[in-house]
Amino acid sequence: MRYILMPERREAPGDPMPKPPSPSEEGGGPRRPETGSPDKDNLLKRMRKVDPKQAERYRQRTGE
Amino acid sequence: MLNRIFGLETEYGLLLNQDRPEHSPSWVAQRIRDHIFHVDRRGLVDLHHRGHDEPPGNGGFLTNAGRMYIDMGHLEYASPECTTLADLVATDRAGDRILQHAVTALDLEETVSIIKNNIDHETDATFGSHENYLVTRQFPFSRRGLGPLVTFLVTRQVFTGSGRIGCARDPNEWVQVGGLILHRPGLRDAQDRAIVPYQISQRADYIVNDFFEWVQHNRAIVNTRDEPLADPNQFRRIHLLCGDSNMAEYATALKMGATGLVLQLIEAGQAPRGLGIDEPVEALQDISRDPDRRWIVRLESGQSISAVDVQEQFLAAAQRHCKGQDEETDWVLEQWEAVLNDLRGDYAKLVGRIDWASKLWLLETYREAEQAGWDDPMLKSLDLEYHNVHPERGLCYGLEEEGRGPRLTTDKAVNLAQDNPPRNTRAFGRGELVRHLLAGGASEDAADDAVDRADRPACDYIINWSNFKLRGALPFFMADPFKPYVQEVRDHIAGR
Repeated sequence: MRYILMPERREAPGDPMPKPPSPSEEGGGPRRPETGSPDKDNLLKRMRKVDPKQAERYRQRTGE
Repeated sequence: MLNRIFGLETEYGLLLNQDRPEHSPSWVAQRIRDHIFHVDRRGLVDLHHRGHDEPPGNGGFLTNAGRMYIDMGHLEYASPECTTLADLVATDRAGDRILQHAVTALDLEETVSIIKNNIDHETDATFGSHENYLVTRQFPFSRRGLGPLVTFLVTRQVFTGSGRIGCARDPNEWVQVGGLILHRPGLRDAQDRAIVPYQISQRADYIVNDFFEWVQHNRAIVNTRDEPLADPNQFRRIHLLCGDSNMAEYATALKMGATGLVLQLIEAGQAPRGLGIDEPVEALQDISRDPDRRWIVRLESGQSISAVDVQEQFLAAAQRHCKGQDEETDWVLEQWEAVLNDLRGDYAKLVGRIDWASKLWLLETYREAEQAGWDDPMLKSLDLEYHNVHPERGLCYGLEEEGRGPRLTTDKAVNLAQDNPPRNTRAFGRGELVRHLLAGGASEDAADDAVDRADRPACDYIINWSNFKLRGALPFFMADPFKPYVQEVRDHIAGR
């Protein structure tokens, strides 16, 4: 699997706004994802912090 | 991408992490909106009625030329017009950041979470992620012409779905008793939901038509409302509401990019034919709920075929017709092919790129560690947390932190996109206008009391997607979304 950075955000010439960073300015662009499993310990730690009741508390209206 | 304007409209859920919250989510949403406009000064609230449900002060355009407003009680962010996927992904995530920043600044982090999903598991409420694609007026907007788009949309969920625990109740399960809508007696909800522990799409259960023009009821695979927000003689806006909000940047880019290419195929008469789906609405749900992930659909021809095979036919047509036209097209074609290949194997290969796969992997990881069953209510809470836009809490961001979620943009680009519009669409001109008015103190005037001001004979400004009017000046039209208009806007302001 090969991941590539999408082409940089394009700018009209001569515009006075600041330019977004190029990959080199950011130090190499996106990291290549690892082929193995993500670190389960860190993710489990994040998951265990979730309030088990939050789905009950999530009361939304139908939108649009 | 070639001759395409993209846009996304996201309705956010708002979670109050309190047993007995003092205020409703809608009340908190208003505080967040007010902070964005009047404290962060990221935009200008509207001083005019935009519609029956958008009174003055309900929302407004931002300096990045997108809109933030409240719709049906939900905070909603509409991106500015983008011609590239890179811009779109950056500006989409910028909306998340703008909201989270306001929550943090209001010191609400511990009690309020912004959830970028599309369902409430408990009440079956749904709220949307709407996609916008500008096409030419010559686009074959007929049932026959849109046939390939329906087939594509029904099957694309295999890589665009965000996944969810359970399913929505069948609408037939509800009965009206007096003035109340109640669950039909005798139907056991828990039993029903045990049939679908997990499905790949959030919105599939809520789509009941193939074509329809409304957005709140009778939602359709293809929304047929004709509202181009541009010169109607030249353009049409394809407005889709059947998709899920995506958290992974990769999924957002692939969804919008592949859909854009399929629209191009249809415009050029190059879309694959003979793939009409028998009962597309049912197929949409069947694919989403298929526990074996074989995703078989029945075509009008009587043939059965997998959703992945259908997608491969669209991909092959796009490779023949679109390859090499620009860098982003080639990126989409390459990644579309890679994802379809991976969908034929272990879903874990897709973790980090495709939201339903990421969420399923996380839930399975939790279930294994905690010996939890699919009926454990914690899983619904984890489902929500996948969509939490707080970078240190959201589970999707956890995958990114672990190096498994590929970024297509950078934090620096997202930060820039919070305040700067794309510079190659009319968003640039609109952003310039908002900046100018903000610098002139318009925001403070508006903040005083937008409702009172609306009763005056004329507002200081009226800003819409395709035009604006300043007090004492003629209306300024921006009918071509591909044109930046920035110099024209500056001249208009200077000549007032």
